[in-house]
Amino acid sequence: MSAGEVLDPDDLDERERTALEHLCKRLGDDEFVLAERYTEWQVRSPSLESDLALSNIAQDELGHARLWYDVLDDVGLDEEELVYERDPDTFRHSTLVEQPFPEGDWADAILRSYLYDVAEKLRLEALEESTHPKIADRVGKIQGEEEYHLEHAQNWLERLADGEEGTARLQDALDRLFPHALTLFEPTDPDVEDDIVELGLRTATLQDMGEEWLSIVLPFLESLDLTVPEGGLAEADGYAVTGEMLPAVRGRDGSHGEAWDELFEDLTNTYRELERDRPTKIMEKPE
Amino acid sequence: MIWEVFRQEENGEYHTHCGNVHAPDREMATQFAAIQHGRRKPTNSLWVVPKEEIGEIDSDDVEFGGTTDKGYRWTMTYNLQTDQAEEVVESESEQEQADKQRGEA
Repeated sequence: MSAGEVLDPDDLDERERTALEHLCKRLGDDEFVLAERYTEWQVRSPSLESDLALSNIAQDELGHARLWYDVLDDVGLDEEELVYERDPDTFRHSTLVEQPFPEGDWADAILRSYLYDVAEKLRLEALEESTHPKIADRVGKIQGEEEYHLEHAQNWLERLADGEEGTARLQDALDRLFPHALTLFEPTDPDVEDDIVELGLRTATLQDMGEEWLSIVLPFLESLDLTVPEGGLAEADGYAVTGEMLPAVRGRDGSHGEAWDELFEDLTNTYRELERDRPTKIMEKPE
Repeated sequence: MIWEVFRQEENGEYHTHCGNVHAPDREMATQFAAIQHGRRKPTNSLWVVPKEEIGEIDSDDVEFGGTTDKGYRWTMTYNLQTDQAEEVVESESEQEQADKQRGEA
């Protein structure tokens, strides 16, 4: 499609529908699962202020998941199919967001948030001109809320990296999380991914976004005296994500770690216990 | 470290005290203040001030004024026929309100 063209959401062919489904699932699943993980910090953060901040961020991310999932409502997928009744092996989130937090490891939560929020900023920019009107419309609202998420993570990082213990904890978390963060830029399916860009649903390729992400994240982390794990370092001709740096399971293609099965079990527990066949609606659909 | 937070709802209005936050420095204090005090109520601007920077003097230290009835100075009992300047009308209604509150106290 050429620039300025707009898809008709009510008249999508099979290829367009599939591309839309993959795109919105990778967006929505990331937000949803990350929010679930963030809420584990409720009443456990290092201070009341941090608690409120992370809870607010989790609440924002849940709202964003809702915005993306709701786009799929138009093609007939509703909340129970997208969350509660869904096979956990069909979730498309990056493995970064499903990792359990080592007990009390605030450095992990903060670093994860930073790695994720930079990637989210880039992908939102790549959705501003989406050919799907609902996607393009929703980007601005999300961007408005995202700004302080990144600021919050950066503020904390700078302060944690100010002391020896904090730096050591951050380095630990970085070694653990970095390969998983790279899966943020993995395709759900290489052919469908090509379609997402060709149809103009998103205007940047995963590779472009991955390289840009590295060009932001690496210098910042190095400025904090952290060592980025082998592989992702600056090259003479820019930054590149290579296959060797990726973990065995990549999330986007439906492969997940054990931690995801446990988390999914947890988050659907009440739904199953109450023998629901649809989730309780407490809010109208987003505009 | 405790930072007192003052919120201004609209441009030009006073910043009024609305609570406090714990934060290691000014930058974090402004961010926490924004999250805690700027997300639920209409807000134009927030100030954060280190608690220890605030000077205080209270009624144990000094005899404050404001307790003498000076109602005789007020103009609300005059019955003026001409159109009043806006400020005069406002002042009169403020005085009427203050008088009413005094009666309730």
